[in-house]
Amino acid sequence: MTSPEPRADRFVRELAELKIPDPAAGRAGLWLRLGVTLMAAGLILAGSAYFISHSTTDALVQRDALAAGLGGVAATVVGSAVFLRYSLTGFLRFWMARQSYDLAVLADRLLEKDLHHDLTSTDATPR
Amino acid sequence: MSTLLELRDVRAAYGVITVLKGVNLSVAAGQVVALLGPNGAGKTTTLRVAAGVHPVESGRLLLGGRDVAGANPRDLARAGVCLIPEGRGVFPNLSVRDNLLMMTFTGKSRAEIEEVAFARFPALAKRAGQVAGTLSGGEQQMLALARGLATDPAVLMLDELSMGLAPLVVTRLYEQVAEIARQGVAVLVVEQFAAAVLGIADHAAVLVRGRIERQGRPDDGLRTELSALYLGSPT
Repeated sequence: MTSPEPRADRFVRELAELKIPDPAAGRAGLWLRLGVTLMAAGLILAGSAYFISHSTTDALVQRDALAAGLGGVAATVVGSAVFLRYSLTGFLRFWMARQSYDLAVLADRLLEKDLHHDLTSTDATPR
Repeated sequence: MSTLLELRDVRAAYGVITVLKGVNLSVAAGQVVALLGPNGAGKTTTLRVAAGVHPVESGRLLLGGRDVAGANPRDLARAGVCLIPEGRGVFPNLSVRDNLLMMTFTGKSRAEIEEVAFARFPALAKRAGQVAGTLSGGEQQMLALARGLATDPAVLMLDELSMGLAPLVVTRLYEQVAEIARQGVAVLVVEQFAAAVLGIADHAAVLVRGRIERQGRPDDGLRTELSALYLGSPT
């Protein structure tokens, strides 16, 4: 008979097996929010610039508005890229986990089928 | 004896206020360590950091030799870290038996939990049907300890066990704590009133303004130093 594992040893073992989340994972959320903010701010800036340039005949103001509008478009593009990068990471991670789960279920099902087939074919053999 | 809990140069803060300024402390299996100090020294924060409830700003929190800074406190609790907070944390509207029943989430049966609790604290068995809020302070503390023991802890942390209790009751409770430690549990006790806990502690540390000012065996020198820290040094 084996003696039970001492509590302290079990504690050390369980902690060694413990999965600790990477602190960098928390930063992904921050990037995601930054992407959304940039996207929204860029759109607002571009929209505002359009109306500013149309509400004046002063060429200098129109040029400033044009520059601001381009800046807004650039911010939207960068924001979209950041948002896509971090949202896709999350989605793909989930998708991969889902795929590996589905594959594991499929493998179990196939193994069961094989086992069932083996058993029935053994029964069917003439004696 | 293996070290189960270790804090290495741990700093922790509440917003911009740094409470722990480089705490070094370790507790081995079967050892009782007393963390003493005046009000506001950072004792409770040290326990909260050790239990994973409060984040470590810098330094290392090692449990069973592994750096667990950033780990989910629920996972640490499941592994065997048990914090009994100041104020006992029992459900005052539930009976003693129902309070113990709440611990069946650990996977143990009600009978198992009650057997261990009532064997260690026979006073609770007599009051099994009584609402916890109507128990005496000492009995409530026994219930809190019994609930903590139901989690089968490897590291047990107690915050101000003696708060509001008669000296005799405190002595008896600490006898139980010493008995728990003898079974291989690493015990870290935070206390403001040092006398009772120093009787059972293997090691004591004095925390003042977020720093361990002194640590070692609880001898007369430490007691004298404690008095000086609490009451001010004679000039």
